[in-house]
Parts: sequence; structure tokens; C-alpha cells
Amino acid sequence: MKETSADKNTRQAKIKAFKGPGLRTQNCPQPRHSKHKWRNIRWAVLLFFNFLFFASFFFDIQILEGTLSGSRLLGFHLIDPLAAFQVILSSQIIMVNLIIGVVTIFLIYLMFGGRSFCSWICPYHWLAELGEKIHLNLKKKKIIKNHTFDRKIRYYFYGIFLALALITGYTVFETINPVAIISRFIVYGPSLMLIWVIALLLLEILYSRRAWCRYFCPVGVSYQLIGLVSPLRIKWDKENCSNCKRCQSVCLIPHVLTDSVNQGKAEYIDSSLCTRCGLCVDICDDEALSYGVKYLDKLI
Amino acid sequence: MTEKQTDTPISRRKFLKTSTLAVTGAAIAYGAVSVPLLRSNRFFLRPPGSLDEKLFLASCIKCGQCLQVCPPQVIELAGISQGFGIGTPYIIPRQGGCILCSGLPCVLACPTGALNHDLSLGKDAEMGLAVITNPDTCLSVQGVNDLVYRLENLQKKNASSPNPTELKEILSSLIKKLTQDEKKAWQNKFALPEISDNTLLSIPKQLENADLKWIVNFAKSSVQAQKACQVCLEECPLKDEKPIVFVNKTDPNTDKKYIWPSVRKTCVGCGVCEEKCPTPAASIRITPRLKWSEKQAGKQIRKDNLT
Repeated sequence: MKETSADKNTRQAKIKAFKGPGLRTQNCPQPRHSKHKWRNIRWAVLLFFNFLFFASFFFDIQILEGTLSGSRLLGFHLIDPLAAFQVILSSQIIMVNLIIGVVTIFLIYLMFGGRSFCSWICPYHWLAELGEKIHLNLKKKKIIKNHTFDRKIRYYFYGIFLALALITGYTVFETINPVAIISRFIVYGPSLMLIWVIALLLLEILYSRRAWCRYFCPVGVSYQLIGLVSPLRIKWDKENCSNCKRCQSVCLIPHVLTDSVNQGKAEYIDSSLCTRCGLCVDICDDEALSYGVKYLDKLI
Repeated sequence: MTEKQTDTPISRRKFLKTSTLAVTGAAIAYGAVSVPLLRSNRFFLRPPGSLDEKLFLASCIKCGQCLQVCPPQVIELAGISQGFGIGTPYIIPRQGGCILCSGLPCVLACPTGALNHDLSLGKDAEMGLAVITNPDTCLSVQGVNDLVYRLENLQKKNASSPNPTELKEILSSLIKKLTQDEKKAWQNKFALPEISDNTLLSIPKQLENADLKWIVNFAKSSVQAQKACQVCLEECPLKDEKPIVFVNKTDPNTDKKYIWPSVRKTCVGCGVCEEKCPTPAASIRITPRLKWSEKQAGKQIRKDNLT
């Protein structure tokens, strides 16, 4: 169905009339979404960093060597916190390099917003985003139904796999960690474990939207903990918001927006679950959502 | 409609509960089942400095940085078919042994110390030990020269167009070992201007069938051909430490004299001998993680412990 320019004008007029303080009882007409600014920037960053991993081995360009489990950025150790904790628990040896790597990761993601690792770096997230598009298409055609799991499973997994590392003396989760498997695939070529990753993607496409990232992935939990304190957050401007709630339709974890957009309680999206992916910023036609730095914004 | 409204939330809640139990249960079961199941007794040849296998598996973070810095690129990452250690580094000595390069960059690159940072010299590594697994095929025992053996094989395989890189490799080793008179004969045959390793080597480019035959016969009759194969020692990165010594022996049944490659304590199990062994299946193979004291005590070497 094609929209005539007259239709468009009337709709935009309606939206304009709706602008201003959010939190209305009725929702405003749905504006049409066209910009992909932050998504494009984010994908470029994600692909660039994963290319650096690839280039470190393929072209021997030593900027970012290793994989997402453990790497070196210009010689500085970076270690995935969950992998590091597992190694410490399973070997029961505390290596200085591991601590240095985790602290460096902490400092970097303290600056860039905790779970931004998920949306800005993690190659599985990127594949899952593409899978999500297929999922939504199939759902629209009523071929499949979405199923939800308990979001707390991620925390259970975090505990379970750390306990398993301690009990079995082996980094059990690293055998099934899709992030590490894809990262190794990018740098060192394919392995049979990719079947597991494909199975996960199929689960997401056919059964449950973004299942791994939303409900299961314990890797993101470490970064989430950093996100608790990281000041880089999505800012919500009450005055501009028309409360159309379209931001919640694109969000990986829609409930993070409820405190602000639904209830007007907070100026920043304070939930540590927020991946700072910027999809809500892109979809907002009211300029009510933007990237901000909590505490610092007020000073300037 | 009303039925659905009352029905949906309950079944959904039920699904949430059961799925949570199922998923977390599956994770625990995976850990409980997979670990003893996948932890086999099979040992891999690990990069130098690796901790004891159990501790190594516990410490390795599977980042592959050792593989990235390996100059001869012999380190591979284990896949699911290698069982327990998915993503852990190992070496297939037959495809390429560790050359114990100076500085041991793989050890330095390891962020977790799974490759022990205390190791700084290749000769102190303890990767395993070389074992003569097939004395029947070993050229040393048979008294066959390795270069003659390889040339003959090359001729047998494809006489009309021998693999040029392999031929060049054989000839370059052969020429270095020729006597002065033999070099002169070689020079005359191919009408070369002077005698030096470089000019002598320039011949295989325009090699014909008859020439190859001549070369094989020439090699067979050379003084060098009398010497039995000692490739395992010649190629050893630690050959100054004499990890392999050739012992004179006599077969009690036939009274035939032969030399026996005897592996000594200084062998670290780098795997270069297995890589370079000229027989179709390596006659000398690495038993990963085998220690000298264990070997002295007569520890059984299981076939499946060989990589």
C-alpha cells in the first residue's frame, strides 16, 4: 500500500499535534521510520573490530590480536571477564595477566556503557540481528509464533557455569560459547562447533525472538555489571516524547524503557540490561531519545 | 475469547517455569555428563611449556594467541572431533613439528599461563618424547640412505615429471654431501660452468627422464649412499644436545650389523623428527607428555596416545 503525499501530510500534522510531554493515555499515530544512523555506525564499528581480529592473523596486522575470549589491543591484555573467572575457578591459579585483562575490559566498557559490548562488538549479536529480521517477517506472515523464556536464566547460567568450572576443573561454558566459537571462526577458520551456533540461530529465527541474547547469554552478564555504573546511557527527553512507544518494539529488552517512557520516573535508561545499541534513538521521530552521559550532562 | 484470556497467562507462566527448569537443568546436565565423557586419556602434543594436561585444560582460555605468533604456524586449534579440549592448541607433528624457536613466542603470548611463563629456553621444554614406533620401516635400521630412498620414491611415483620442489629439496641436501670428485662428475654431466652449491642446483629446471635416471644411479653409487638415514638427528632443532644417538648393533639372528637411533634424555618431543621422517608412515613418533623417568620405568606406550 503506497502512501500518498496528502496522507503523509495529514499524518505528520497529527503527529505534530501529539508532540510534547509524554505519558499520554492514548498513543499517537505511528510515524514512519526511515533513519538508520546509529545502526549503521554500530554495524560499521562491529564489523571493523571483528575485521581487526581477522586481519591480525590473516594479514599479520598486530593491532587487535587474539579472539574475543582473550586478546591484545596494541599489546594490552583484554580478557573476557566470564572466561577469566572460569579459568581462575577451574585452575585455581590467579594469573596477573588475567586480572590486568579484566581490569582493562572494565575500564574500557566503563567508558562506553557496559553491555555496549553486546551490540557494538559481539559478532553473534550481529548475526542475531539479521535473524531477528527473518523472525519478524515470518511472524508477520503468521508462519511462526514467538515464545518467551525467563530472563533470569542468564543469571542462573552465570552461576551454574562458574560453579561447574570450580567443580569439574574445566571451563565448561567455553565449549559451547557461541561468541568465542564465532570469534575463533572469524580468525582461524571454520570448525564443526559452528553447527551449534547455527542451531542457536535457528532457534531464534523459528521459535523465540533473540532467545540467546535476551534469555541465555551469560557472557553479557559480566558486561551488564559494568553497565550498572557506566555513565554512558540513553537519555529520554520528556518534553519531546509523544509516547508512541515504538522504541519498545525495536528494543532487545523492551522493559528497560518502561521506567522512562512508560512511567516518566527516570531521565536516563538506567537499567544495566540496556545494550546502548541506539535502535530506539533511530526509531524515535520526536527526538526524545539520544545518547547521553549521566552525571556529566548536568555539569556542562 | 474469554477462555483464551484466562487460559493464556497461566499456560504462559507454566511454560516459563518449565522452560527455565529445563534449560538450567540441561546446562547442569551438560556439565556433569560432558566433562567425564569428553575427558579422554588421549593426549595431544601441546605447544612448549604447557602445564600438566588437566591443569592445561583448566587454564587455557582458547584465545588462540599462541597460534597467531607461531613462526612456522604448526599450532592448530582443536575442534569438536578432538573431544574435550575444544579450542585448545595442539600440534600435529607429522604435519609440522615445533621448531623451538628462540624466545618461544607462543609461551610469551599466552595470557593465562597455560603455557608456563617459567619456560624460556626450547631445550627445557617437556612436550613429550620421540619413540621409534616402527623399527621395521626405519631406514637407519635397514641401512638405507634417506636421499637415495626419496629419489627412488620420486622416480617411482612420477618419472616423467617429478615434483620440482621436492626434487630441489632432495638435490640441495645431496649436493652438500657429495665428495669433490662427485661434484666434478655432476658438473660435467650437466655442463655447469663452476662448482658451487648454487650453480650445481640450477640443473633441475631442464630435467629430462633420462637425467633423472642418471641422478638416481649417481646418488646410489655415491659415497653418501653408504651412509644410513640419520634425518631425525640432522633435522632436530636441538641436535647439539644430541637427543638421538645412533648406536651400532648386530642382529642376533642374521648377524647383520645396523645402526639404531636411540632417543636420549635431552629429547623434548618437539616433533620435527616425526615430520621429517622419510618413510611413508613416520618410523619415529612423538608420545606426548611422556617423561624420561616414565620411559625408564618402562611405561607402556599406548597407540592412541600418539598424535
